Amino acid sequence: MQVTVEELAPVARFSLRVRDKGVAAVGKALGLTLPGRIGERADRGDLAVLCLGPDEWLLTAPEEARAGIVADLAGIYARAPHSLTDISHREVGFRISGPAAATLLSMGCPRDLDRLAPGRGVRTLFDSASVILWRDGPDMFRMDVWRSFAPHVRSLLEIGQQELAAGL
Amino acid sequence: MSRYRIPGKGRVDHAAPVRFSFDGRSYMGLRGDTVASALLANGVHLMGRSFKYHRPRGAVTAGSEEPNALIGTSRGKGRAEPNTRATMQELRAGLVAESQNRWPGLGFDAGAVNDLLYPLFSAGFYYKTFMWPRAFWDRLYEPVIRAAAGLGRAPGEPDPDRYASRYLHADLLVVGAGPAGLAAARAAARAGLRVTLVDEHAEMGGALLSDPGVVIEGRPAWDWLAAVLEELRGLGVRLMCRTTAIGYYHQNMIGLCERLTDHLDSPPETAPRERLWRVRAARVVLAQGAIEKPLVFDGNDRPGVMLAGAAQTYLHRFGVLVGRRAAVVTAHDSAYFAAFDLADAGVRIAVLVDTRDAPPADLLDQARRRGIEVLAGHSVTATAGRLRIRSVRVNRVRDGQVAGGRAIACDCLLMSGGWTPSLHLFSHTKGSLIWDAAAQTYLPGETIEDCHVAGAGRGLWGYGAVLADGDAAGVAAASALGRAAAGAAPAVAHDRTGSGEAQRELPSDMAPSLARAFVDFQNDVTAKDIRLAVREGMKSIEHVKRYTTTGMATDQGKLSNINGLMIAADMLGKAPPQVGLTTFRPPYTPTTFGALAGYHRGSHFELTRKTPIDAWAEERGAVFEPVAQWRRAWYFPRPGEDMEAAVARECLATRASVGIFDASTLGKIEVAGPDAVEFMNRMYTNPWSKLAPGRTRYGLLLGEDGFIRDDGVIGRLADDLFHVTTTTGGAARVLTMMEDYLQTEWPDLRVWLTSTTEHWAVAALNGPNARKVLEPLVEGLDISNDAFPHMSVTECRVAGIPARLFRLSFTGELGFEINVPARHGPDLWRALMAAGAAHDICPYGTETMHVLRAEKGFIIVGQDTDGTVTPADAGLGWAIGKAKPDFVGKRSLSRPDMVAPGRKQLVGLLTEDGAVRLEEGAQIVDDPARPLPMRMVGHVTSSYRSATLGRSIAMALIENGHSRMGELVHVPMPGRTHRARITGTAFYDPDGARMKL
Repeated sequence: MQVTVEELAPVARFSLRVRDKGVAAVGKALGLTLPGRIGERADRGDLAVLCLGPDEWLLTAPEEARAGIVADLAGIYARAPHSLTDISHREVGFRISGPAAATLLSMGCPRDLDRLAPGRGVRTLFDSASVILWRDGPDMFRMDVWRSFAPHVRSLLEIGQQELAAGL
Repeated sequence: MSRYRIPGKGRVDHAAPVRFSFDGRSYMGLRGDTVASALLANGVHLMGRSFKYHRPRGAVTAGSEEPNALIGTSRGKGRAEPNTRATMQELRAGLVAESQNRWPGLGFDAGAVNDLLYPLFSAGFYYKTFMWPRAFWDRLYEPVIRAAAGLGRAPGEPDPDRYASRYLHADLLVVGAGPAGLAAARAAARAGLRVTLVDEHAEMGGALLSDPGVVIEGRPAWDWLAAVLEELRGLGVRLMCRTTAIGYYHQNMIGLCERLTDHLDSPPETAPRERLWRVRAARVVLAQGAIEKPLVFDGNDRPGVMLAGAAQTYLHRFGVLVGRRAAVVTAHDSAYFAAFDLADAGVRIAVLVDTRDAPPADLLDQARRRGIEVLAGHSVTATAGRLRIRSVRVNRVRDGQVAGGRAIACDCLLMSGGWTPSLHLFSHTKGSLIWDAAAQTYLPGETIEDCHVAGAGRGLWGYGAVLADGDAAGVAAASALGRAAAGAAPAVAHDRTGSGEAQRELPSDMAPSLARAFVDFQNDVTAKDIRLAVREGMKSIEHVKRYTTTGMATDQGKLSNINGLMIAADMLGKAPPQVGLTTFRPPYTPTTFGALAGYHRGSHFELTRKTPIDAWAEERGAVFEPVAQWRRAWYFPRPGEDMEAAVARECLATRASVGIFDASTLGKIEVAGPDAVEFMNRMYTNPWSKLAPGRTRYGLLLGEDGFIRDDGVIGRLADDLFHVTTTTGGAARVLTMMEDYLQTEWPDLRVWLTSTTEHWAVAALNGPNARKVLEPLVEGLDISNDAFPHMSVTECRVAGIPARLFRLSFTGELGFEINVPARHGPDLWRALMAAGAAHDICPYGTETMHVLRAEKGFIIVGQDTDGTVTPADAGLGWAIGKAKPDFVGKRSLSRPDMVAPGRKQLVGLLTEDGAVRLEEGAQIVDDPARPLPMRMVGHVTSSYRSATLGRSIAMALIENGHSRMGELVHVPMPGRTHRARITGTAFYDPDGARMKL
């Protein structure tokens, strides 16, 4: 059972909160339409936007895009009030990939991963740590874990990999 | 080959012998055997001694309901398990098995003296015998009873095995892979459902494994089984053997325990021994079948006496004959088939006793053709033999009169009292049970779960009936989930249908007081015990259970409950449903702690959060303490230093020059949006409107009850942006509380909350030289006292890293807190340490932080407050914005009892002898000379040795404390009572001049 766990390079991460008419304006400033349903994701180039709540989105982008995003949204703040909070360092990203990726995640994640289609993402738990789980492909997941929880999560994933290697 | 194994027969591998040992003796079995089948193949029936009377016992079943054949198994150091069911444990090479509850040996056991003292150990024995003298209970009775109680020895060493857990989701979970379960799984899988099928045995098939002669859909049972399993695999059904459904929890959550390695000769190094599955299933089909009931008669526990169905299983699954000359006693048709199969395999059936007067003619006919003598309308009244049955006493019964008996020689006795539907998991759902008067058994009724019981589990009998029922259950599950499903009830030839009648104790000519007719084998409860319990006033089965312990063993009365109920009901002259049925609880069979703990052991016992500075602190030799989920550096001992010495040094160094502290764990919440200031005004007691951007303020958060919930310094970074800090432990709670108010009370406010606790690493610099250390590292900012006064905040760069810089103090010294993005925390820390070297910068931990703040009288929420302390009680009345129209908790603060005299108020406490440190939590009294029980006026909340002050200091909550300044109180502690004087809480630099340098 093949599965790989890698810690991902840092990216720019923002928590975006906006509602009502501001949603469209913020989307326009970012050059996309903010997805309207929880779990849906929209991409423009390297910018990914994941809907986590009725008025909550997670933005990820390359680090060098950070200043541009901040400036773009600051420009519309007056007519579209919102909160754009830099949480780049709050989380550490892991990629879990391979045919056994979903099995490995099922060791700590109570969600039905069959129901998480590629291209979607959700806020969920991995062994009592709150995480954002992205499914980038049938056998490819990304998990954003709060920094202080990351060593625990990482080492559980390693135990899981050993378990899968044992083949039982 | 032993004389009890039939060459080539069964599902075991006759070409693969497996060596194992039992009680030190080496035996040979076959791959596919259980320990029980292998021992039986070697002619060994004696497998253990009973719990109370130490009676010799053998396997009575071939499944997980086994009450007798409980053995110790081991696989090297730490890998020992007591009470393994010999009937379930698969044979593996080198398995070491031992019998239990015997000394010096299984054949001669000194404890068997209890059996001779049988009349002493009647029901309620403990309650009657150990009543008095009272003092004997603690010193004599309880220790002796405890030493004698229990079965098997718990391993004393740590368990080196790994245990795993997983979540699983399914459209349909089928529990039990007998004919009904297989049919249900097939129907549902054909309709496209995600199906999981589990079975506790080593292979699937259930009763079909013991009935190969049945023909289903034109194929012999075993061929049909193989074909169905092949089809299920092809349809993507998850098939899980060796997997016990241990519990049925709310909303179709089922716990499964999968045994992964106990059957393997040499398991892979990193393989887990067991795996706990938490399954959430849209629908559940319980197809757990039925459990055969023993008959209750004198000597029904002798080795060699076993259930007829078990003998049939040993024959067909394992190719093992449980004896050469079998007697059969039954109240149900099913035992006839067991007798026929054994006869056909060459066993001499010495007699078939049927308690019924008129058995079915076709069965009698088949028996006659095999030359089996059937004694209808007869009873079995005794067995003989020491460690193994050698004869059975058979009596004719007519009109309730028991005639004289005759002994018939045999080497095994197969009994069947009929079958009890297995309703354990159904009972876990709180499903109702319905008494079926005709079948004299409980059947499943209504349940709130999406759960369906199929097959013998709901009282059906015969393969045609249960297969059709299972198929219908699968179709129903599919329809419920919106899938079209076509039923295909399998056609069955050579079916084995039948019925029976329920029995109490079998009629006997023996005095009831002498009969050793066992109802509960595992707890050694006899029919006499149950009748005695009723005579002594136990009217409910729940009382009978507790008085006699029937059904209280680890098998939860799988064999005994209905027999016990029938006897109690008879004694009470009531119908069984009026007497009740005891409740089944998870787990279905005993489950290891390891499986339940899963990965949560050792370093993973509980999630531990670490800060970005943690690795540096560990390298530096810090001692850590847990704070909420975090581990925090407690103090940094130098070689030879104990905690007290280290803390004293850290305190003095910080006050003399500069100290550095990892404050990263403080909760941080970004409050942003046009209505941020209005939100802050409503949440916190303080006024925020006039706080200018770039300034900070101490914030106090109350609950609606007016009591202090949290506090922290809050900075205003812009008109519409606040950086809120909370206590370490309160971070999540405060955010949740804020979100609650925002979403439910004030959804109109345009403000949003984001946790940034982990985005920032925070270094706190404190001490008169703090500015000297920091200044050279700060870019683009004047941090002089004039330009950047106490309680300021700004954004700048520190050591080249973008930072939020606070000037504040939790120590009473000039202080700064530098927040940088977490990944840069270690860089910042190293830069500060390097810059501080010239000033002997001293890293300090949470203990020194506590002492320094206590010297200043700063409270710690949760230590100096306990959820009943108001701002006024804590001396924080100044933090309330009195002009504000409202804030959370405001109204409660004016309740009469919140302003009444007599409240406990936070004060300082100085012992008369400064060398004495009071215990935190110590009670405080006004006059220790008063008689007990004495009135306590308060308690110590914080207490430390202050190196700075050269004496101990303490804080305390004392009734009316604020108006008792200077008074003496008394603090009783182990050894002696100390006198202490009430003071203010600011012990050090009360004017606060040092913070404003």
